Amino acid sequence: MMHLLADAAPAMAPTQGVTIALVLSAALFTVGLIGFLVRRNMILMFLCTELMLQAAGIAFIAFGRMRMDTSGQVFVIFILTVAAAEAALALGLVVLLYRRRETLSAEAWQELHEQ
Amino acid sequence: MNPTDQLASAPLMPFYVAAAIAAAGLLLVLRPGRAAMRRAGAVIGLAGFGMLMAQGLKLAGPSDGSVSTPFYMAFAAIGIIGAVRVITHPRPVFAAIYFVLTVLAAGGIFLMLQAEFLAFALIIVYAGAILITYMFVLMLAHQSPEDEIGRIGAEDYDRIPREPLVATLLGFFLMASLGSVIERAPELAMENAAIAQTRATADRAAALQKLPNTMLQQAKAKEPTATGLARDAGGLASATDGAMVQVRVNAEGDAVRTVQVNPADAVDNVQMVGLDLVAKYPASLELAGVILLMAMFGAVVLARRQIELGDDERRKAAGMGSMVLDVPETERGGA
Repeated sequence: MMHLLADAAPAMAPTQGVTIALVLSAALFTVGLIGFLVRRNMILMFLCTELMLQAAGIAFIAFGRMRMDTSGQVFVIFILTVAAAEAALALGLVVLLYRRRETLSAEAWQELHEQ
Repeated sequence: MNPTDQLASAPLMPFYVAAAIAAAGLLLVLRPGRAAMRRAGAVIGLAGFGMLMAQGLKLAGPSDGSVSTPFYMAFAAIGIIGAVRVITHPRPVFAAIYFVLTVLAAGGIFLMLQAEFLAFALIIVYAGAILITYMFVLMLAHQSPEDEIGRIGAEDYDRIPREPLVATLLGFFLMASLGSVIERAPELAMENAAIAQTRATADRAAALQKLPNTMLQQAKAKEPTATGLARDAGGLASATDGAMVQVRVNAEGDAVRTVQVNPADAVDNVQMVGLDLVAKYPASLELAGVILLMAMFGAVVLARRQIELGDDERRKAAGMGSMVLDVPETERGGA
């Protein structure tokens, strides 16, 4: 009843499933990184970092399942905590920046970089 | 053997090819161009991702007879489509909604990997709380421009990506290097399967002994007359015996009976995660609380508007009397 969707034999680590989860995790992280570089909207840049955190969470769960260890899941709880804290702070900063320039474009702050 | 042959015979070569195809598709989708071009890019990208998954499956070895592999693949496909839409959609609110799709797919994967609590916690916390905050800020700070005939368009900075070619190239290299980790995963899993199984059973048995209520409940299922745990002089009511836990209970007529409980059935995932959280990593838990508290302070400080105080108000805030002598001498604080 507990493992309705999960494997028929929960004792064995599902090698194929774990591998697919790892491929997804790698792909999500890569897409998140590309998105962070490509996006010019500050809010969406932060959304892409959330994508990368998500990928890290999937990897934690997959490796935890592989080793039959719940520590992986505990770490994902901490990732959730950090993601929540990051969202609150990053969005606060973005709102502050938006009030100054009236635009969300990251390029509005280009003069911050070194000459 | 020359270097080219060596490269071609490397076991990861198909993985690299698949990553390159996926990267080419993503590049086509990223570039603002004709819709047909982007659609072709989406097809190529999906094909590349499908090849990546197929390579992963090939590395994982023969099927272990579980029926769940198609579910994993479906969730992975949904997750990656959502993620690509997050980074390509010209309208930010829609990008945020596609992120919810990715979170739901990740929740599905968590569910399949027997992390039931985390699956729903993820959906509630991410899709329910964090993404709503993002949506609020997006809608607060962003008005989509309208064109001449009143259609809602997108800002230039949302439509035109920054350096898509360089970013995709970097992404391809990252994905290709992650391939070596994925390659080693199945053999690690095989290697650890037996050890992991033994340790998991031992973990659950140890956890069960910390959960007296669960222990009694399980014992009652086998011994209906049990009224409570029978603790010995050391305060212990159970002992581990191989894979089973022996629980001593008070049965009818003051008799002490020993009941065998299988920890794998008795302790579920949520109990294990909870026990790990408070018993194994208590300091980290406290630190997580501190992080949340500090984030709350930070958000309050950032969100507060700066108000210019006049000279008089500043003196008042500092606890000094007003410059204007309208307050009676007796009511003035301090001096």
